[in-house]
Amino acid sequence: MSETKMVKLLIDGQEVTVPDGTLVVEAAKQLGTQIPVYCYHPKMDPVGLCRICLVEIEKAPKLQIACSTRVTEGMVVRTMSPKVAEARRGVLEFLLLNHPLDCPICDKGGECDLQDFTMEYGPGASRLTEPKLHKPKRVDLGPTIVLDEERCILCRRCTRFDNEIAQERNLVVVERGHNSLIGTIDGGDYESYFSGNTTEICPVGALTSKAYRFRARPWDLSHADSVCTQCSVGCNYRVDARFGNIMRTFTRENSDVDGGWICDRGRYTFNYLYEPARLREPLVRRDGDLERASFAEAVALTAEKLGAAAAAGRAGVIGGGRLSDEEAFALQLFARKVLGTNNIDHRARLQRYASPARFGARLRDLDDADLILMFGAITPEQAPILDLRIRRAVARNAAHLVFVGPFKPDLAVPFHYVEYATGAIGDLMEALADALKRGAQPQGAFAIDLARNLNEASKIVAVHNGRNPVAASALEQLIETLLAVGKRGGILVVGSQGNARGAEAVGCVPNLGPGYAPLANAGMTTAEMLTAAANGKLDALFIAGANPALTFPDGALARKALESVPFLAVAEQVMTETAAYANVVFAAASQFEKRGHVTNLEGRRQAFAQAVEAPIYVATDAAIVSALASALNKPDVLDDDPDWLFSRLQAVEQAAKPAEPLARPKLDPSVTAHGDNLDAQRKTFTVVPVPKLYAGGGPSLHDPGLAPMRPQARASFHEDDALLLGIAQDRVVTLTGPNGSITVAANVGTSAAVGTVLVTADMPEAPVNRLLDASGRGRVTVTPAPLRKEALA
Amino acid sequence: MATFEPVIMKGIGESDLADIDVYERGGGFSVLRKVMSDMTPDAVAAVVTESNLRGRGGAGFPTGRKWSFLPKDGRPRYLVCNCDEAEPGTFKDRMLLEKTPLQLIEGLVISAYAMGAKQAYIYIRGEFLEGSRIFRRALAAAQSRNYLGDRILGSDFSLDLVVHRGAGAYICGEETAQLESIEGRRGEPRLKPPFPAVAGLYGMPTVVNNVETLCYVKHIIERGAQWFAKIGPEKSPGPKIMSVSGHVRQPGNYEIPLGIPARELIDEYAGGLLPGRKLKAFQPGGASSAALFEEDLDVGIDFDSLAAKRTMLGSGGFVVMDDTACMVNCARTLTRFFEHESCGQCTPCREGGQWVARMVARLEAGEGSQEDLRVLNVINNTITGTNLCPLGDSIMPFLSSVLKRFPDEFAAHVAHGACPIKDVTAVVA
Ligand SMILES: Cc1cc2nc3c(=O)[nH]c(=O)nc-3n(C[C@H](O)[C@H](O)[C@H](O)COP(=O)(O)O)c2cc1C
Ligand code: SF4
Ligand code: SF4
Ligand code: SF4
Ligand code: FES
Repeated sequence: MSETKMVKLLIDGQEVTVPDGTLVVEAAKQLGTQIPVYCYHPKMDPVGLCRICLVEIEKAPKLQIACSTRVTEGMVVRTMSPKVAEARRGVLEFLLLNHPLDCPICDKGGECDLQDFTMEYGPGASRLTEPKLHKPKRVDLGPTIVLDEERCILCRRCTRFDNEIAQERNLVVVERGHNSLIGTIDGGDYESYFSGNTTEICPVGALTSKAYRFRARPWDLSHADSVCTQCSVGCNYRVDARFGNIMRTFTRENSDVDGGWICDRGRYTFNYLYEPARLREPLVRRDGDLERASFAEAVALTAEKLGAAAAAGRAGVIGGGRLSDEEAFALQLFARKVLGTNNIDHRARLQRYASPARFGARLRDLDDADLILMFGAITPEQAPILDLRIRRAVARNAAHLVFVGPFKPDLAVPFHYVEYATGAIGDLMEALADALKRGAQPQGAFAIDLARNLNEASKIVAVHNGRNPVAASALEQLIETLLAVGKRGGILVVGSQGNARGAEAVGCVPNLGPGYAPLANAGMTTAEMLTAAANGKLDALFIAGANPALTFPDGALARKALESVPFLAVAEQVMTETAAYANVVFAAASQFEKRGHVTNLEGRRQAFAQAVEAPIYVATDAAIVSALASALNKPDVLDDDPDWLFSRLQAVEQAAKPAEPLARPKLDPSVTAHGDNLDAQRKTFTVVPVPKLYAGGGPSLHDPGLAPMRPQARASFHEDDALLLGIAQDRVVTLTGPNGSITVAANVGTSAAVGTVLVTADMPEAPVNRLLDASGRGRVTVTPAPLRKEALA
Repeated sequence: MATFEPVIMKGIGESDLADIDVYERGGGFSVLRKVMSDMTPDAVAAVVTESNLRGRGGAGFPTGRKWSFLPKDGRPRYLVCNCDEAEPGTFKDRMLLEKTPLQLIEGLVISAYAMGAKQAYIYIRGEFLEGSRIFRRALAAAQSRNYLGDRILGSDFSLDLVVHRGAGAYICGEETAQLESIEGRRGEPRLKPPFPAVAGLYGMPTVVNNVETLCYVKHIIERGAQWFAKIGPEKSPGPKIMSVSGHVRQPGNYEIPLGIPARELIDEYAGGLLPGRKLKAFQPGGASSAALFEEDLDVGIDFDSLAAKRTMLGSGGFVVMDDTACMVNCARTLTRFFEHESCGQCTPCREGGQWVARMVARLEAGEGSQEDLRVLNVINNTITGTNLCPLGDSIMPFLSSVLKRFPDEFAAHVAHGACPIKDVTAVVA
């Protein structure tokens, strides 16, 4: 490492030493000197437009902008001289000339840089004597944002965010000079998974989020430092509430995790708490209907049934990936120490592993990776803020991005697409790892290509979806081989649920205890429990924060199991497809209503604080299982206090002796990891479920903030297949598999591979899991719905 | 009558120099031939440096120095010929484009050779439709005779020239905005540094030169650096085309040796003032330049003499205003121009420019106030010198100079609600 040169300079007479090349504005910060800025944002390239940051630099003939001037040895800077004050006053006067001054009703009022800097540096009154110029006041910019062009000071942070950070190039300045407006490149909607960030970085109240518009004043808000659990990235954020109701969420930069941004799914998922669908008290099935019940009744009934089933060795527990680490730990304690069974599994989706066994990478590793391999993980949909890092690495560092998977995803940056059928990835990776290890030339054009990329790269990060166990271990071998020749790299596994990795780590798997400690007697996996239940071999199931009816790959099996099991208790925040089958439903507290820790996809354990109180009959998952433990006469095993649980968890983890490499969670016997051949006749099509950020049941289905963004369930065909099938865009088709069918509108294009049909995953109105088996595989026949007469005319 | 023998305007109006046969018969492309067969790129660049040629596009930067900033690091480099001429009062590049496009091509190829650019662009102002047609025809003819294209005249040097037309924005004449525009983005100046010579078009080392600058290169190579350096003042040498407009008998383009007094340009070249009129003000360097007055008529027309008078030679747009001109009206025209052409990036240029234009328009309409005058007298401090590109610094110079010199005329507009001059003649630049 070469040492960075340090330079010394004087700012307002104070000496400061900073690395060569530091911007004057940043150097001033080190002295606690604030230089006002509008267009400058530390995460984006300086552009030097707003001119508020002008300072005096000795020897320079004119004032210089502090936001883009770099320090030099011996530089003498004055940030408070009369000349500087005059320039600032001038810029503020100009900005305020036609500004509407709606501060009393503006969302930003109280945290607005225009207000604040005017108070500090601005002129007291305007010298404008004619009427102000007007601009559009309520521009519906897209599903999340309303823009007030009159408040906009044209700093362009928003357009630059969209260009530089999101790499989407949709937000632009239209028109010219003082007629400039913020708009989209084609006049369409500003649709982006990251749009909410623009409302935050907008220094004024021009970009307002529809979710928060006119709802609160900043000084009325309470703040809680929290962590988003909408996906496994675990972005840090702040939850702002007013009188006990959440109003908004706000970034809370952790540069190792989120880089100061959050995605819209994370930002806007909280209003479901205030919807009718929110469960506010326990429900018990009486005469076939779920009816309101007391917590005591729900606990008594569940304890009785679950206890009896456990005594007969016929009970199981599913869940953990949506709980906190403490609660997932409590859940497995409940299964193991109260019910006396190892039948516990957090995996209610296709994912088998939530972590790599070896060579785990950090999110930061993406920043300087020169080769990024995406294996099946669709990062924009499943880990949006991780995807921002990939976008930056590709756009700024010319990192090479390769996507290997069964269809061509929609990515924001250029990538190399390698079509590989579901399942067959494992074979490919195995062959490649083997060839590299032996120093041999692998077979097949793609493998040769990839081998060359790997040879040329010096730092490789693989992003895996944790589904295919053969691919997972081959990937580890691959990295091992690369590390052996002096390269750097590692693996990230995108979790299927927000806290999937936490659940795995604290022992919500049938064969591992907390800290990946191998257990002598493995219990049943989710698939095994569901099969047993469907076959009358399980008497009771307890499910916490999981929705297998919608997400378990073999939906027919899941539904049969939930129907057949004599007793089902579910802990949930809102009514779900799974809870609808339950005998008892517990109203569970949300993330916002409790505190604890969660573990993100890189294994980072992060604390989150409680933001609001839960409704009175709503209990935390820990409270539910500890009440059940007490009712089952094991009150000492469990406590609902997060601190108690956390210290126990830490103690158990420290004592655990994990194997090296880590022992893997038990696989379902049904898993076939190897390749599947497409139907050459194309009488049947292989189903490929496609994740979408805003899809899903539960909270995301009921959140009004997400409703405008909710995708439509779609079946996408390759255009050649569509021709063969006689399907045009938007034609309604029925997909029929051995165990069920769904009816959806078709997309025609080139993202699907020939012989496959892509189906939006996790859509309650058209559940793809009706078409799949337990290892996520399915073949369907395709029947176009008859065209209506008027359509033919 | 003026005695200076035109250099780059030679033959214009006498024969059709856009016809390649005519151009060749008059010695056209002989300099390029000589360069290709006898001179190394460095030798060509050395002559240009020695001649002390300063850019004719406005900033007057020494051309040889500019070329020498290109880093020798093996990256591709580009030459961009700036033909976006949109400064009110300047109309020389348009004439060169339409009347002698082959001379421009010859100068451009020689310059590209000197700096080692294999790819060149010419950015032609959108409104120059006829000019771009003429230029394209000339370009095709030059290509057909291998003055451009692969292995020019049998040498190892190849050059491709792309014609890029503007879309009606004055700011695209500013070199970095021009590069943005060529790259397909909104034409807006970039933050400097880095300068184009280091990171220009598509991030590669780039030189932007004016049409007139490139035309002189050809003649400097032909006649030698010393010939050029000896014309006019030492630090500001050579001939230059002045576009003279406004209240003179013979408006038009005149090629002068730099350094001659303004009086001579008006009287000897442009035929003098109209009968019975008195000089009131003149702008020596286009819309961006501060006005000079009767007492300044002996100032030398060259970069440094004009700078000493706190104005500039600019691109050579020389606008004459006599006693029938209303200064408020002239200021209104110009401030309106800059308000309209501001790209809108910088707060002072965008907002200040708009405010100033509104105030001056109100004054002209007789609806102004004392407060407007007070503001206009001090606003210079916050508008000028605070922007990203020189356009923002161009809003105030003319207005400030006439406001200072003719305060009564402005005050009269406020006091009487109308212009004190009878029969105002608008200045047509
Ligand atoms: C607002 C603005 C407009 C300009 N317009 C032109 C133009 O139309 N033509 C031109 O050659 N230079 C123009 N320039 C100057 C260019 O930025 C640049 O200095 C010039 O093209 C360099 O060529 P030269 O060195 O040969 O003079 C303009 C500059 C500014 C700030
Ligand atoms: S909308 Fe906000 S962020 Fe965007 S340019 Fe305007 S003031 Fe800046
Ligand atoms: S990327 Fe994931 S963790 Fe981050 S804000 Fe979005 S959903 Fe939440
Ligand atoms: S000074 Fe004016 S024209 Fe130049 S960059 Fe700034 S706003 Fe644009
Ligand atoms: S913050 Fe420096 S110019 Fe805007």
